[in-house]
Amino acid sequence: MKNGNVLQVEDLYLYFATKRGVVQAVDGVNLALPRSSAMVILGESGCGKSSLARAILRLLPRNVHTYAGRILLDGQDVMALDEDSFRENVRWVRVSMVPQAAMNALNPVIRVGDQVAEPAIVHLGVTKEEAWEMARRMFRYVGVPEGFLNRYPFELSGGMRQRVAIAMALVTSPSLIILDEPTSALDVLTQANIMNTLKRIKQETGTSYILITHDIATSSDLAEHVAVMYAGQIVEVSNAAAFFSEPLHPYSQKLMASVPRLHGDKELEFIPGRPPSLLNPPTGCRFASRCPLRFGKCDQDPPTFRLGERLVKCWLFEADAELAYPDTTSAHPSEQRR
Amino acid sequence: MAEQALPVEKGVTAPAGESTFMRLAKYTLMRTVVLFFTVVAGVYVTVIIANMGGYVDEIRRGEIRENISIAVMNNPAYKSYTLEQKRELIEELSRLEEKRLGLDKPFLVRSFFFLRNALTLRLGFAQRMVSDAGSRQVRLIILERLPTTLLLFGTADLLLFFSSVFIALILSRQYGSFWDRVFVALSPTSAAPGWFYGIFLILVFASWLRILPFGDLVDVPPPETPVLYALSVLKHLILPTMAIIIGAIFVSVYSWRTFFLIYSSEDYVELARAKGLSDRTIERRYILRPTLPTIITNFALLVISLWTGAPILETVFNWPGLGRTLFQAIGLFDVPVIVGSTVIFAYLLAITVFLLDILYAIVDPRVRIGGGGGR
Repeated sequence: MKNGNVLQVEDLYLYFATKRGVVQAVDGVNLALPRSSAMVILGESGCGKSSLARAILRLLPRNVHTYAGRILLDGQDVMALDEDSFRENVRWVRVSMVPQAAMNALNPVIRVGDQVAEPAIVHLGVTKEEAWEMARRMFRYVGVPEGFLNRYPFELSGGMRQRVAIAMALVTSPSLIILDEPTSALDVLTQANIMNTLKRIKQETGTSYILITHDIATSSDLAEHVAVMYAGQIVEVSNAAAFFSEPLHPYSQKLMASVPRLHGDKELEFIPGRPPSLLNPPTGCRFASRCPLRFGKCDQDPPTFRLGERLVKCWLFEADAELAYPDTTSAHPSEQRR
Repeated sequence: MAEQALPVEKGVTAPAGESTFMRLAKYTLMRTVVLFFTVVAGVYVTVIIANMGGYVDEIRRGEIRENISIAVMNNPAYKSYTLEQKRELIEELSRLEEKRLGLDKPFLVRSFFFLRNALTLRLGFAQRMVSDAGSRQVRLIILERLPTTLLLFGTADLLLFFSSVFIALILSRQYGSFWDRVFVALSPTSAAPGWFYGIFLILVFASWLRILPFGDLVDVPPPETPVLYALSVLKHLILPTMAIIIGAIFVSVYSWRTFFLIYSSEDYVELARAKGLSDRTIERRYILRPTLPTIITNFALLVISLWTGAPILETVFNWPGLGRTLFQAIGLFDVPVIVGSTVIFAYLLAITVFLLDILYAIVDPRVRIGGGGGR
């Protein structure tokens, strides 16, 4: 079963040490992404979405406190690789990334063509000319005129820079691309356009995506799977169709209720209170203090329950579901590792 | 924008711009023109100041009139003249003398003659100073001293630049380490000028340890063969170069290391790591290259401030350069040499800025191609 998944994350923890304490940015995340599919990770700002992306690519800052768990790419545990072989065999070979708002994602003093061709030269061992040819093909593919290969980032518009960043992510044909809010700084027309480009790439190349966003509307038609993240934890994993019609977790329901609809005069809802600090998250369910459906059991940390194909981390589903990870429930990294 | 309407734009090419060379040439021309006017303005201000805004002309007219009056009054040949005739004669002779010296023209007009002469290095004759070859021409006095100054400051500036970049890169890699804190702590020492440290260097290495000379350009008598001569110059170069470097290196390392740290937190550096590039490539292409324009700007300001320290530094080390010449000229009140040295310094500053501007354009495409930040 595992070999069917391009990415499998098991019990991933990423804590940062700060002056004020340990920030639990990614706290025991489990995810599985089947080949050639896309998963959107939804959540509010600061819920640990970007940290999760960084943890998968092992882009860690200097103040890492805990980095533990298993990350399987095509069935291989890449957490076991040392720094050099991870850099040579995983980064951009198997997993590439389109960073948040590519405005600053391109080096201002190097021609964009060179930047796009660079991973091919480093990882595929091709000559500079071949790499430029690949870059040219990618430019055509994502819809940037070839002449722009010779240009510098500041000569490109925001949408074009984003396309260049996508071309860069595609040039080594990785099996997984992590898109970290790829359209958040762009206008709606450009957003829609980029989303269409991404959809086309997925259909034609079979690349898998992890799309990290807080923008539910634009993600809804790209992804087959949805994971909802709250305060460093995944609270719900579901297929997109089921999720968008009937979210399970109370947080997901609130999240969906806050999305504007074109039809209907329903007033938009918001979630009272603020997400808990990742510095000292509350014990028990982390959403409990904002949850309209809380009851006695919410003082304890809920395990992840399996409802058919769907996973949800909420006590409400205890009665009609089974445990998703019976053996790994309350194992906490502080008792476990380091 | 077309990109919004068409997902795939086959066959569309970017508008053909000018070639990079043409843009660079245009930029160079623009900088030259701007710097030329800067030099002209600077020299003109010097001319005005050296002439006290034209008041020196008044003094000289007064002097001429006084000398002629005395000469006429005391000349026995004019004894039979009435007072009225004598006065007329004095007027006439003064007018002729003023005309001979060009003082009949208003100062505003004369100031432009001065400016033209200064800019074309027709610097006139020194009042008291003589060049080593025996000439009184200010131009020759200055040109004789220029190479030694360029040798000293060129060497010191280049060493300063490369050692600072190197150390700053190392420190930015180990931010917060012992050596990093040492350099941060020592950066205020750069508030004192190089010659201040020069005095201590002379005390330690020349007076106490006796391993390096006190000053001067070469040994006395100068070595016969060119090789030995060069070695001797090199030996004399060590202390003044060290003085310049010590006086500036801590603050430049401190600020450049901070630039490196700022630029290492840019998104494209993290993306470069995600791309699986080696640490060396990331440091060279993604941290050093984007930071260079900032560093060069900083360095240009530093070099200019180093130039202004030349008169005292060269005097401390008895270095026979332009700075010491200026210092001597001020002591001897030799106005043509003062003005001439100032003009040459203005040119040197302009050339320095010009070279760094060109370098800036080479490392930063945003300057070279124009269009500005555009972020």
